[in-house]
Amino acid sequence: MARIEVKSEITGTVWQIKSKVGDTVEADDVLIVIESMKMEIPVITEDGGVVKEILVSEKDPVAEGQVVAILEA
Amino acid sequence: MPFDDLLRELDERNQRALGMGGPEKLAQRKAEGVLNARERIERLFDPGSFIESGRHAVSNRPEDKATTPADGKVAGFGRINGREVAVMSNDFTVKGASSATINIRKLKHIKGVARKRGIPAIFLGESSGARMPDVMGADSIGSKDDPFEYQRLRESPWAAAALGYCFGSSAWYTSMADFCVFRKGAIVAVSSPRLISMAIGRKIDAEELGGWRVHSEVSGIADQVVDSDEQAIDAVKQFLSYLPSNHTEPPPEYPVPEGSGDGMADVLSLIPESPNQVYDVRKIIRCVVDSDSMFEIKARYGKSVVTALARLDGKSVGIIANNPLHRGGAIGADECQKVQNFFVMCDSYNVPIVMLVDQPGFLIGPEGEQRGITGKVMNWLNAMSLVTVPKLSIVLRKSYGLAVSSMGAGGNADEVACWVTAEVSFMKPDFGARVVFGADPEKDPQKYQEAVAKMSKGTSAYDMAAIYTAQDVIDPRDTRDWLIRMLEVHRSRLTGGVGQHLMRTWPTTF
Repeated sequence: MARIEVKSEITGTVWQIKSKVGDTVEADDVLIVIESMKMEIPVITEDGGVVKEILVSEKDPVAEGQVVAILEA
Repeated sequence: MPFDDLLRELDERNQRALGMGGPEKLAQRKAEGVLNARERIERLFDPGSFIESGRHAVSNRPEDKATTPADGKVAGFGRINGREVAVMSNDFTVKGASSATINIRKLKHIKGVARKRGIPAIFLGESSGARMPDVMGADSIGSKDDPFEYQRLRESPWAAAALGYCFGSSAWYTSMADFCVFRKGAIVAVSSPRLISMAIGRKIDAEELGGWRVHSEVSGIADQVVDSDEQAIDAVKQFLSYLPSNHTEPPPEYPVPEGSGDGMADVLSLIPESPNQVYDVRKIIRCVVDSDSMFEIKARYGKSVVTALARLDGKSVGIIANNPLHRGGAIGADECQKVQNFFVMCDSYNVPIVMLVDQPGFLIGPEGEQRGITGKVMNWLNAMSLVTVPKLSIVLRKSYGLAVSSMGAGGNADEVACWVTAEVSFMKPDFGARVVFGADPEKDPQKYQEAVAKMSKGTSAYDMAAIYTAQDVIDPRDTRDWLIRMLEVHRSRLTGGVGQHLMRTWPTTF
């Protein structure tokens, strides 16, 4: 079982959480939406897997490169 | 038969060479699902077109002569879709395809023929590095007399595949090539993890050292990542299909696949109506170019700009497109290097460039500055000024800041068209309202709205067209037709479709 860290590509604020622990996700699925530069910027997973942890809540500030979710594949 | 003995000897020697490192090692590879050096060549070339160079070359050390068929590196020439190509395929079953006097001579010959005769060179990488004890001492590593060994002037395209452990020469050639595909499991590094672990006294994991993730996401050395040897070799073939055999020719043309452009009628559905929402520009590219012709380069690196080879009306183009899906399209240091690399390749091999614009500016913040983004932004613009192939630019939605010029406006492209949705300015109007007028949307919403209205003036597609800095405003559904027609207008007739290659000496690895 590989542990996959999903990171935010950009600094901003968590706007929506689109997945929950236990969800099975596929590559290119949107897990979280970050508001940054007045845009809705998705956090997309590059790998499929099962969501093990969501590490942020709505309205949380996030930094570029911050791990926001953990998948298991 | 006369000369029977001599012919029998030739036959025996041929069989020994074709047997590579012996049946045991070959069987082990087969069991692992990995092709051997000669199977890779077979996959690469049109059937029956391979002609070998150096089958009877062996190590110059007497004790190794019998155990070094082809001296561990199989070389020669063959045809891909009828076009001549040179190849060097590392045979890991023979002393780990390590580099030594004789196979270095083979490599030099293959590169020389590719350069002199104007044919691409392909490097199928899998090697353990320098051969010991052959290269020890002043008489070997110290006595090399080839100052041009690692010189690249881009006379003809180079493509490489990393197909296993690539230390030493395979690492150098995957890094120098115009295109490098990684088969998952391949490792590219200066030295093996074993040697590095010894040197630094800490265990190093091979994937962490130089695996596909490192090179496709961090270093940017890997242009594509695939799962098998077969897919890697097919990717090399597809890459070369977009390029000419050498820099004196325009790229080859192909028949236009049926259904090309059919998606244009629905292109509007791919763009969200709200400017705050993002979309994947790759869907638009696929819609615009000839069916199934999009070949993305460095998809996992610098993702807010997409670079891809493709065809329009059967002719090769290089696409540079902002991708709002990633970071809203904000251009960072990696994106700058990716685009610079792509300019060098397209211009060196006479591939016209098409830019699709939707970007909020360069990514501002400490991360970029630490990577030297200011210098990289300048490299982009300098490279762009040296591009001599035709450049077309289409502004899809927003375009802000200096990156307006980087993406083709300001005279940087030969023609600029704006979609009706285009908006061009120095910065997003609501940021401008706050910076210029000090308007706070919460404290004084009315003042803020007035300021936004002021900052939004003169930013439309028609404002660009009125001052003729954009040459046309188009319906997004006409994008493919506009590009095909304008590429025809801007064909480099005076030079037979060939550019000046002013960046042929620029390094493209970083």
